[in-house]
Amino acid sequence: MRASITLRVALLAATLAFAASLAVIGFIFWRTHGDDAEALRRQVVEQAAALADVYATGGAAALDDAVDDSDSNGDSLYFAGILRADGRPVSGNLLAVEAGPPRAGYRTGEVRLRGRDGAVEAGFVAHRAPHGLWLVSGHGFGERLSFQATVERSLLIAVALSILLGLLCGLLVARYVGRRVDAIAVVADRIAGGDLSHRVAVSGSGDAFDALGLQINAMLDRIALLMGELRMLTDCLAHDLRSPVGRLRARAEAAARASEEERDGLLAGVLQEADALMRILATVLEIGRSEAMTARSQFASLSPAELVEELAEMYEPTAEELGVRLTAETSPPPPPLDGHRQLLAQALSNLLDNALAYGAGGGEVLVFARPEQGALRLGVEDRGQGIPPEEQAEARRRFGRLDSSRSTSGAGLGLALAEAVAHLHRGELVLEDNGPGLRASLVLPALTERKAWGGGVRPG
Amino acid sequence: MGRHILLVEDDRDTAAYLQRGLAEEGHVVEHVQDGRDGLFRASDGSFDLIVLDRMLPGLDGLGVLRALRAAGISTPVLILSALASVSDRIEGLDGGSDDYLVKPFSFGELLARVNALLRRREQRAPAEGLRILVADIEIDPLARTVRRGGRRIELKPREYRLLEFLARNEGRVVTRTMLLEQVWDYHFDPGTNVIDVHVSRLRRKLEEGFDQPVLHTVRGAGYRLGATG
Repeated sequence: MRASITLRVALLAATLAFAASLAVIGFIFWRTHGDDAEALRRQVVEQAAALADVYATGGAAALDDAVDDSDSNGDSLYFAGILRADGRPVSGNLLAVEAGPPRAGYRTGEVRLRGRDGAVEAGFVAHRAPHGLWLVSGHGFGERLSFQATVERSLLIAVALSILLGLLCGLLVARYVGRRVDAIAVVADRIAGGDLSHRVAVSGSGDAFDALGLQINAMLDRIALLMGELRMLTDCLAHDLRSPVGRLRARAEAAARASEEERDGLLAGVLQEADALMRILATVLEIGRSEAMTARSQFASLSPAELVEELAEMYEPTAEELGVRLTAETSPPPPPLDGHRQLLAQALSNLLDNALAYGAGGGEVLVFARPEQGALRLGVEDRGQGIPPEEQAEARRRFGRLDSSRSTSGAGLGLALAEAVAHLHRGELVLEDNGPGLRASLVLPALTERKAWGGGVRPG
Repeated sequence: MGRHILLVEDDRDTAAYLQRGLAEEGHVVEHVQDGRDGLFRASDGSFDLIVLDRMLPGLDGLGVLRALRAAGISTPVLILSALASVSDRIEGLDGGSDDYLVKPFSFGELLARVNALLRRREQRAPAEGLRILVADIEIDPLARTVRRGGRRIELKPREYRLLEFLARNEGRVVTRTMLLEQVWDYHFDPGTNVIDVHVSRLRRKLEEGFDQPVLHTVRGAGYRLGATG
């Protein structure tokens, strides 16, 4: 496939080069070529017929007279002579025809004339005469015709040269293109072979191949990044699922060995572990789906204040049990938001879970919806210990853990899901120091601004 | 009490497990393996409930559902699916199903939902406004007031809705996720015990000062409102 494309490129380049030369050649030919040659032919043929008559009636002497006549008329290019079949002259001012023994009909070629040095380019006609002799008469090319003939011969050579040059040009272009394409293809082959570390070499000339190479490299970087994330995710998933699966197994084993009475209680524990495991998987799935942005079709206009109040109401009894005062802050009321109510609620509920689990010591948790310049902040603040800045990246990593002794199943996934939901809404998850405590908020572009991208805002 | 249930499920093991379980509850279960058969059998509207797998050979579950609803068949449909994300569930519910259950599920969860759907169908006639009586609890849906043994019990709006939902499913198990979906209209699994805390708060209000418990915890499954333990 690649070879045939290179071949086509070569042929195209060759054809183009050839066509360009041909155009120049054709133009020169058109400008220099006149009907002089045709006029000469007609004149020569007529003269030959007349001379044949002269020769038939008066013989060689009459012919010589006729030639002398035209010489004395100043037409030194006029010639006529009697030649043997082998080309040797018998009489007249024609000494030899360079093109060989005489043949019937009009020809052009070089002839040697008496009283002239060198060959003369001429058009001539040979007539068969009695006794195996030939009557050859003609007229030398004038200066103009000679020039034309030279130009035409040169043009013919130029055509041959341009074919050669075209082929050479095609080969060079094909080799150049082939080499640049091959460089990219080799990288693609290696990538296909599984080694993602290769990159297209960029020549630095900034041409189209460089642009293509840069684009391919950017694409490969992105793929490598995603692959890396995926590998890390699967590694973490496999690693982090070991402990709940291990607990599940231990409980199942204990249940299998237990007496009838104990068994029911132990089996309930097995089910609990299985449910926890399923929750982890569901959350991982939800993160994946959110990052894939498929849920945007389910976006609808919703009130952020209502959402925050509903969640505050939902978590209020739990907070009270923990001795935490949970409040909702929704004034000034933020404008409506175009979003996914379920996923936003889940993200907020994860932030609330975290705040209640790790920030309950502060005694206060605030869930808020704050309008900001061009954005909306949905989030949760606590007054606990917070997350030191150096550990924040770890916190939002899928399965990231701040405290390895945490035994809550699926801990660490919560922030990752909140971040994925923020991304789904074209926003970001921001973790800040609440002095003391942690403020985790989804910063989402405001509805009006997003509408403006689609050109929906009328000039006021 | 037996109801006629159509089970459309291509996985033999799941189907056999569900068929046995539902039959033990006294239901008559008819099982078909693909979407086309399912649509054909369901199209006379004679079933009380359809349990429909979402991913089926031939015609998929949502396709069957759309075709049924387009033909004016209003038999309640419970969708079973391995597609577990929130947006998948919303898509299933928007597609016209009455409930959506994610695989793998416990049989208890399925049974609770099946019973709730069957009951909802039968109760369509008793209007919303009628008083609901459960044991010695009296609920007035119009005034949104609750009395137990004649004594007024003050409930917050959410607690009231929780109680009304439990009361409309009197004597039946209602799971945590059903409560989250029906009372809060949220379709994710909070993982923590937020729902349980709401229920225990409601229970305190209902049972404080009374000898008889009415709001029972069913271990490993959910809650049940009713006179007897």
